[in-house]
Amino acid sequence: MWYSFAWFDLYLVRLPWHCLQTFCWVLPQRGTTALKVKQLEQKDRPQLLQPSCEDITTQQVVLISTMAEGGDMEWELSKENIQPLRRGRAISVLHEALSLQQDGLSSAINQQRQAFESELRMYDGDDPLDVWDRYIKWTEQTFPQGGKESNLATLLERAVTRFTEEKKYHDDPRYVELWIKFAENCPEPLDIFRYMQAQGIGVTQASLYIAWSEEYENQGNCRKADLVYQEGFKKCAEPHDKLLHFHKALQARVSRQVMMNVEEEDSDDEPKQPERVSLAELKHRGKKKAIAPINRTGSAIRSISGGMQSHSAPVLGNASNSRLVVFDENKTQSAGPSEPKLEAWAAPPTSRAKENERNPEKWCGVKVPQKSKFGHTVMAPPPPKPTFQPFVEESDQPPTMTPCKINPAVNTVLSARKPHREETPLKRLQEHHQQQKEAESGKLQEQSTYCKELLLSGATEFCFEELRAERYFKKVTPEVRGQKDQACASTSN
Amino acid sequence: MSLFGTTSGFGAGGTGVFGNATTDSHNPMKDVEVTSPPDDSISCLAFSPPTMPGNFLIGGSWANDVRCWEVQDNGQTVPKAQQMHTGPVLDACWSDDGSKVFTASCDKTAKMWDLNSNQALQIAQHDGPIKSIHWIKAPNYSCIMTGSWDKTLKFWDTRSPNPMMSLQMPERCYCADVVYPMAVVATAERGLIVYQLENQPSEFRRIDSPLKHQHRCVAIFKDKQNKPTGFALGSIEGRVAIHYINPPNPAKDNFTFKCHRSNGTNTTTPQDIYAVNAISFHPVHGTLSTVGSDGRFSFWDKDARTKLKTSEQLDQPITACCFNHNGNIFAYASSYDWSKGHEYYNPQKKNYIFLRNAAEELKPRNKK
Repeated sequence: MWYSFAWFDLYLVRLPWHCLQTFCWVLPQRGTTALKVKQLEQKDRPQLLQPSCEDITTQQVVLISTMAEGGDMEWELSKENIQPLRRGRAISVLHEALSLQQDGLSSAINQQRQAFESELRMYDGDDPLDVWDRYIKWTEQTFPQGGKESNLATLLERAVTRFTEEKKYHDDPRYVELWIKFAENCPEPLDIFRYMQAQGIGVTQASLYIAWSEEYENQGNCRKADLVYQEGFKKCAEPHDKLLHFHKALQARVSRQVMMNVEEEDSDDEPKQPERVSLAELKHRGKKKAIAPINRTGSAIRSISGGMQSHSAPVLGNASNSRLVVFDENKTQSAGPSEPKLEAWAAPPTSRAKENERNPEKWCGVKVPQKSKFGHTVMAPPPPKPTFQPFVEESDQPPTMTPCKINPAVNTVLSARKPHREETPLKRLQEHHQQQKEAESGKLQEQSTYCKELLLSGATEFCFEELRAERYFKKVTPEVRGQKDQACASTSN
Repeated sequence: MSLFGTTSGFGAGGTGVFGNATTDSHNPMKDVEVTSPPDDSISCLAFSPPTMPGNFLIGGSWANDVRCWEVQDNGQTVPKAQQMHTGPVLDACWSDDGSKVFTASCDKTAKMWDLNSNQALQIAQHDGPIKSIHWIKAPNYSCIMTGSWDKTLKFWDTRSPNPMMSLQMPERCYCADVVYPMAVVATAERGLIVYQLENQPSEFRRIDSPLKHQHRCVAIFKDKQNKPTGFALGSIEGRVAIHYINPPNPAKDNFTFKCHRSNGTNTTTPQDIYAVNAISFHPVHGTLSTVGSDGRFSFWDKDARTKLKTSEQLDQPITACCFNHNGNIFAYASSYDWSKGHEYYNPQKKNYIFLRNAAEELKPRNKK
């Protein structure tokens, strides 16, 4: 009875107010005309065409006409690669983006991106969030596949961390939306939502509770999903009607689920054919060797592991793990009403394990594995004395090797690999706080004298000349129009 | 060929209007000031090649112009000619015979300036500002290499409007250098690519950056047999890496050193780190000079791994430097490099180019 949502061929939408947890493709047969698609859709899924779905109905008309014309089937080949957006995608932009991407990043896209990057740096108005918001929306539309080229994950991360301290944005629906998108990109969205609650970001916005509850529901924890809504009501989240509506929908789904289960139990006239369960541990037969049983249902199952059933446990487990990792005594205790463990959040949790990215970091001593007397590689030995004389500035103190944290002579803990410093946004934010603290207490060893924030504020870096060139271009256009003569006169010798 | 007579004092060559004996912070080294300097920040400097008699200096600036001066033996500089672009000039270079100057600009074009006729023709076009331009003279071809912020490296025969070759780079070109048959390009996001130019240009190797911060300038050095063997790479945080292409012992031969920092011995205050704006190698001695945002220049001996000299601090950053063909003259430009953004830009502040006798100061130290 749960409807799986049909993805219209050209228009991909994940509608939050449906109980959807799965989408399925409606693939027309080859040669099917568009009309058939529409018929299928209307006959089987009448409830889906609800009034608030105006986007779909209008777009549907557009796409059907396109299909009927026998228009290019490019998107047919790429549709699986298109990431769904909550709000849906504009067809025209999608078409354009897909065709452009055949040839790699076109220069038009590059220029547009450059324009956004420079706008980020040049903006001096009251609402910097606006630039980020538009930039991210443009990126989503232009890069339907998501992926590394779009830099979307980086952008989201930068945007959310940049404004974490800005109280004025905490209840800005755009900002909350960015956080929700960021959470969706993370391996553990629940952690993000909890962090948001702890920091007071979006606690008066219905969208937070809706997204949060959806996540719980996806993980099968309907009880928590309901609790989240209660929380939202307690906080008088706005818009109230929307929250109420979604909550009712959740309750409806849950009750349907319960009814379904009850029905199934009742209508069990004939014994159902036992079905195989996936990821089940089977009892083995055979005395000496463990041989898999032929019948793998019923009594042959030893235990059922994996799948959906262990979800509730890790949810709590992660929270407690995170608490240990991120505890920062200097962070003010936030008013986390329901869960005291929220107070310990000092930084947003990991967005992803960034193995492939290396940020500038302090140089660690290069270590060469040393062989012990047994011939095994034992531990990371002390950095070998350099065989050349390291360059020493005349007036400088002797160059210091970065101090080796582990004294290998004493420490017998074996590690064949250098301890990997995981670069996570969590760590970065912590380091940032650390540096701020040190700067205040004057312990900072070095400081750069250039405008770091300006260079690094976007998704990619800028150099001084690029910054300057952007300002030049911004200035020169109005000048060229009316004041060319004046400019020439003033610059001539 | 010596530049200055031994008895003449600095600034007494009658060049600058400001030939004062008192210490001005704009010229603490009391070097020769070039007359008629550009009106805005100087982005590049280049001396004429040995094929031409005399010394001619070209300098491109953010005032959209590139100027040419003749530097006479007595130290006098005479402005000779000037060409304009429609955008700030980012780089300039000479042809090997000294008859043409090539200039690259933010207006996405590169021009060929024929000095004899004083005519400039557009020879290249990119989709973004062109950051670097170099002349390549190979036995079987000659061309111009342009690196741009549109992430491409293009090679142009000056007679044709289409590039001979276009190579895609992973990121925007930030700086480049060419010493045939090698070319090095340093890009944004710490990219580093070496190209080989024999027969036709092709990518030779991508190198993991030896530096942890944004690349800012690069210069190729040669070995005793006058063959290019490696390069020096400067970053935005006071560090230069010396990197050999095929060293016998990479861990031992490649190294980095800190430079352009303040407060060397004073540990109570944090050390200020400045960007390295340009690196230039002495054509004869093989020693190098670096200039930085701190308004100082330094000379180094990379083989002995020692510093030879550091200048006094100028009141503005030093944005460009170069040596003339025989290494007697060291030119450096004092102007704002935008290292602190537009708030610290003062359009009224004068920009300078200084010339210094470099024959003695850059002699290598004897290795211990």
